[in-house]
Amino acid sequence: MSVIQVQQVSKSFENTHAVKEVSFNIPKGSIYGILGPNGAGKTTTIRMINYITVPDSGQILINGRKADAQTQREIGYLPEERGLYKKMKVGEQLMYLAQLKGMTKDAARKSIKSWLDRFEATDWIGKEVGELSKGMQQKIQFISTVAHDPDIYIFDEPFSGLDPINSELLRNVILELKSAGKTILFSTHRMEQVEQMCDFICLYRQGENVLNGNLTAIKQSFGKNTIMLEFDGDHTFLDTLSGVRFNNRSNRTVEILPDQGTNPQDILRHAIEHVRVNRFELIYPSLQEIFIQTVNQKQG
Amino acid sequence: MDTTKFMLIFKREYITRVRTKAFILSTILAPLGLLILIVVPIILGSMQTEQRQIIGIQDETSTLLVRLLDQNPDRYIPLPSVTSDSLRTLVLRGNVDGYIVITEEHIDGSKAPELFYTGTGGLSLVSEIRGDIRAALQNERLDRAEVGEAVREILAMRTSLQTRVLTETGEQKSDTMSLFFVGYIMFFIIYAAMFGYGAVIMRSVIEEKSSRIIEVITSSVRPFELLLGKVIGVGALGLTQFAIWSVTGAGLLALAAPLAGLLMGGGGSSADMGAAAAQADLPFDLPSIGAEVWVTFILFFLAGYLIYSSLYAAVGSAVDAESDANQLMIPLMIPIMLPLLFIGNVASDPNSTFSVITSLVPFFAPMLMPMRVAMTPVPFWEVALGLILCIITFIGIMWLSARIYRVGILMYGKKASFGELFKWVRYN
Repeated sequence: MSVIQVQQVSKSFENTHAVKEVSFNIPKGSIYGILGPNGAGKTTTIRMINYITVPDSGQILINGRKADAQTQREIGYLPEERGLYKKMKVGEQLMYLAQLKGMTKDAARKSIKSWLDRFEATDWIGKEVGELSKGMQQKIQFISTVAHDPDIYIFDEPFSGLDPINSELLRNVILELKSAGKTILFSTHRMEQVEQMCDFICLYRQGENVLNGNLTAIKQSFGKNTIMLEFDGDHTFLDTLSGVRFNNRSNRTVEILPDQGTNPQDILRHAIEHVRVNRFELIYPSLQEIFIQTVNQKQG
Repeated sequence: MDTTKFMLIFKREYITRVRTKAFILSTILAPLGLLILIVVPIILGSMQTEQRQIIGIQDETSTLLVRLLDQNPDRYIPLPSVTSDSLRTLVLRGNVDGYIVITEEHIDGSKAPELFYTGTGGLSLVSEIRGDIRAALQNERLDRAEVGEAVREILAMRTSLQTRVLTETGEQKSDTMSLFFVGYIMFFIIYAAMFGYGAVIMRSVIEEKSSRIIEVITSSVRPFELLLGKVIGVGALGLTQFAIWSVTGAGLLALAAPLAGLLMGGGGSSADMGAAAAQADLPFDLPSIGAEVWVTFILFFLAGYLIYSSLYAAVGSAVDAESDANQLMIPLMIPIMLPLLFIGNVASDPNSTFSVITSLVPFFAPMLMPMRVAMTPVPFWEVALGLILCIITFIGIMWLSARIYRVGILMYGKKASFGELFKWVRYN
């Protein structure tokens, strides 16, 4: 069953057509990634799902109900631009935000306490948010998103500005939420995180949804068209290859994308002549490759 | 409209502010400021001119100088009979600040005395000298005419006009001066409140926008609920401040009246100065402010606050920083400041057609109507109509502001023009 259904939604501001006829469904219990360059319409879509703004046409259903003030309670939203009241104390602020989501005082207090413990932040409860470091503020912001225990979580660039330890903590929390049957929508530019975590993706370009569906299925539809090469030796031999493109090129690994008509066997032969080959494998394209190909292709 | 959410927002807006140092400070400092504005000019006015001006008198009558010295021994000194050129030199060299030559012609009134002076000392010096000379000449003439005591007393009498206002329930002693004073103060309190609380609202909207919490809040509540909670919350803050001022003000006034009487009585120049001080009374009666004046004041304060604060909120939502707001503020400040131009006309005739009409215009009524009610009996229908017009205006303005606000709070990075604000109103 789809928890979020976006149906033929359009939204424009004065001269810009921010979102054009976009449709996708987010199945319950999945992690869904929205990708796309800046200004492609991701945030506008997310705002409409949150009922911060409304579509010009089309409709958005949350658990089968048209998005409204009621459905707002079922969603926890972490915006890309983080923000809290700087002069307000951590505890009061979290209570306020949880109650605005419809929680009772007691339930809110209990939930906030357990989250603060989880993030080792209980000591900050009486501090003003403005006194906390950036990283601490991020944790408080995250708690404010999840404290009311919603069914749906929307994270806009959740990992930006987090140090590796907190990133890992957050990653684990997100995966836990998923195993608890929650639905997670997140928007990011970071392809490796999407590859690691998302079950489904949808790709935006200039307000249009140009690709969407199951991540594995999308990859398979592109075929095993990429060569994963790992080697020891001088990588400059790669420059002598013709009829190929590279992704994620480094001193010891590279993804090679042969053009139509380039034989992978020739590439292997060429590589053996110059370096010691540790791995040579035909794989599905990386998400980054799919992203670049799709965005460029539609532009062309 | 979700009342639970509205109450949460209202409480937050009120409680987080009422606890701040800014609130406590402004509660203490605002009346002090007002007091200083009122008291300082009174004290300054009652002080004698500090620089003593010496006026030489060349007396050809030999009686007037004595009288002048009698009246003000510090100011006048006798001058020998010398030529007018020498007298001029005395003034120009600074030996005296001015001189007057007094002759018989002045006593019989065929010529007016002339003061030659350096031009310093201002109007008050000239009028004081005029007073002295006039009194000296009058007494001299009375003496020469051998007028009896009775006539002198009649001449010395001062008549003042007492005013009493007739109402259904009887007559009230009214003191136009003090009523004017009350009306005037009410005008300025509301005037200052429109700017002060408006700025609080605007800053709060900008703060939520620039700290980006607005996106979190709008994912939980409707912008209208937030706007209304904010406006009502800050309004309650204003009422709290007024309540504190009224209570402490009433208490202080009861204590301070005798003191003020002494202070201000001391500055008066009337002959019954001693009597005034003894009675421990102000030069005018302490105004007793009727309940209807208070009620009108509070109601119109609220009406004005609601109209202007929602406009301030709309302006705040359209900008990223306070410094960008100036241009959009101008059309907002004009209606607040225009009544300043009307205040003279309204005070001099609070029941004229002009006063009635301007005090009914919704943008001016919050300032002018309480002032009129304080100064003069205003028919009930005028007050009621003024209030109803304000409420209708508020509803219209609130609708407009809410539509601008809900778009503005999510717009970043560009300064909106008025044209754009009106486009936002039409967005869905």
